[in-house]
Amino acid sequence: MEQTQTLQMKTPRSRPAWFGEQQRFMLLLIAPAASLLLLFQVLPIVIGANASFRDWALNNPKKTWVGLSQYLNVLSDAAFLQIVLPNTFFFMFASVTLSLAAGLALALALNRPFRGQHLVQTVLLLPLMVAPVIAAIMVRWMFNDQFGIVNVVMEALGAEAQPWLTQRWSAFAIIVLTDVWLWTPWFTLLLLAGLQSLPKAPFEAAAIDGTSSWRVFRHLTVPMLAPVIIVCIVIRSIDAFRTFDIVWALTGGGPSRQTQLFSLYAYEQAFVFLDFGKGSAAAITGGLIITVVGLALYRVLDRVTRASQ
Amino acid sequence: MTDAQHRRPGALGSRARRAFFALALAGVCVLFAFPVLWLMLTSLRPQSGVYYVHKGLEFTLDSYLHVLRDERLVQAFINSGLIATLATVFSILVTVSSGYMLSRFRGPISSTWFGAIYVLRCVPYITWVLPLYFVTQSWGVYDTYIGLLLPHIAVHICFFSWLMKGFFDGIDPSMEHAALIDGCTRWGAFFRVALPSAVPAISALAVLCWLFTWNEFLFALILTGQNTPVITVVMAQFVSEMGLEWNLMSATAMLALVPAFLLTLFGQKYVIRGLRI
Repeated sequence: MEQTQTLQMKTPRSRPAWFGEQQRFMLLLIAPAASLLLLFQVLPIVIGANASFRDWALNNPKKTWVGLSQYLNVLSDAAFLQIVLPNTFFFMFASVTLSLAAGLALALALNRPFRGQHLVQTVLLLPLMVAPVIAAIMVRWMFNDQFGIVNVVMEALGAEAQPWLTQRWSAFAIIVLTDVWLWTPWFTLLLLAGLQSLPKAPFEAAAIDGTSSWRVFRHLTVPMLAPVIIVCIVIRSIDAFRTFDIVWALTGGGPSRQTQLFSLYAYEQAFVFLDFGKGSAAAITGGLIITVVGLALYRVLDRVTRASQ
Repeated sequence: MTDAQHRRPGALGSRARRAFFALALAGVCVLFAFPVLWLMLTSLRPQSGVYYVHKGLEFTLDSYLHVLRDERLVQAFINSGLIATLATVFSILVTVSSGYMLSRFRGPISSTWFGAIYVLRCVPYITWVLPLYFVTQSWGVYDTYIGLLLPHIAVHICFFSWLMKGFFDGIDPSMEHAALIDGCTRWGAFFRVALPSAVPAISALAVLCWLFTWNEFLFALILTGQNTPVITVVMAQFVSEMGLEWNLMSATAMLALVPAFLLTLFGQKYVIRGLRI
């Protein structure tokens, strides 16, 4: 936003107060939030980073300093490099792309009035209310290999029933689709709000010129909506990277780790294999990776926002 | 696909296109609603019919009664509701002022704070919730309400500060300027001028915060033991312990949906109005 939109005060007494009354006010405004973050996020991160350099088995916490060997353990773990990391990035990409496409289509559909709009809108928001764990349990029941409705329908149609959740790619696809189901409403909401705040004039001009709807979409809607789209992508990508609950409840990472994502891997190292040191090293490694990705995304966001102003 | 385009004359195509649009939208609605409807149907089937939900027409509320008689489940519902409500109140209290600061001031403090919350938001939950297990234990608050509540307040600070900044950016600060010139203190301008105009945004955030906390799993999984069961964790334990009783599981899930559903139904319009970032 422009400089005029701030409450920055030019102090009449012309002393170069870099720490004056205004700075004190600013710090007080953020003090409660900052202290909560320090205690419950920064402090644990520091403790976790410290643990990642130590031999810290939960059943035998020697806590001796072992340098980088936990990180070497993680980075030489074939499961982490060849399954968990590729899975996580593929999941992030697939989930964000699909829910962006679906969310944009639905936002465009809801952006013009039609009969029954309120009902449709409520139905489309339904997944927003469902806890990811519950969604996963629901989907698990629907894809149950013996009694699930999906297999019942498959058999009725003469196809063969599939053990959906115990085959790698079908299980992975189900995890991705569950996530898309859960998060599409979120994209729809943000994009719809964005669409509704666009100026009307360019669209009216295009309509008078008889521009085709694809060209309107491609050359007006998308460029004008770009900042909101990028914000959605940034928010969701970072969230998708840390997905835990739906994998936990759908497959538990199985069959034999084939659908494991990063968060589940770190959790498993710490609380199943009771190796808090290695779990912390994995958690910190993943944290560093996504922070770098997040900062790169922020630069894109910044550039797009500037360009559109 | 805007208003204007909708009105474009295309006598032959327009009817077919409208029918196609309606059909596609109906299809999407079915896709969105089906899992929940199926869950509802499963929860209404008696134990004997639960494996063949698609066959037979006996329906019963027994599973719901069974769930409501289970003390641990009822306790879990109460805990989840309590934590979600308290976390929402406190989370909003601390993020409103933080978002206000980000929106109204420039300079090193503001940009440092913005950078900090952006980076902290990137850090995956697992990276800080693993050690948080030890932190809460060493402070003696593991498996207590306070040990569950405080991290749940902290979870959304970064994201909500960011959203709140967006809301305040959309509110013209000239009223606050006027108040300051008239001799109002900064706190007065914040509480009496800025806050009232942020009420729609605050309602939107409150709805989201309540939903997120009610639905949250990972923090609860790691930070609760026997004393403070919450509904998502109890549900997940169901899968492993009572994996075969799908009717009870569905009934519990349906009951967990009800409060979220009611809240979304009533809060919908605030969320849609408030989410303009």
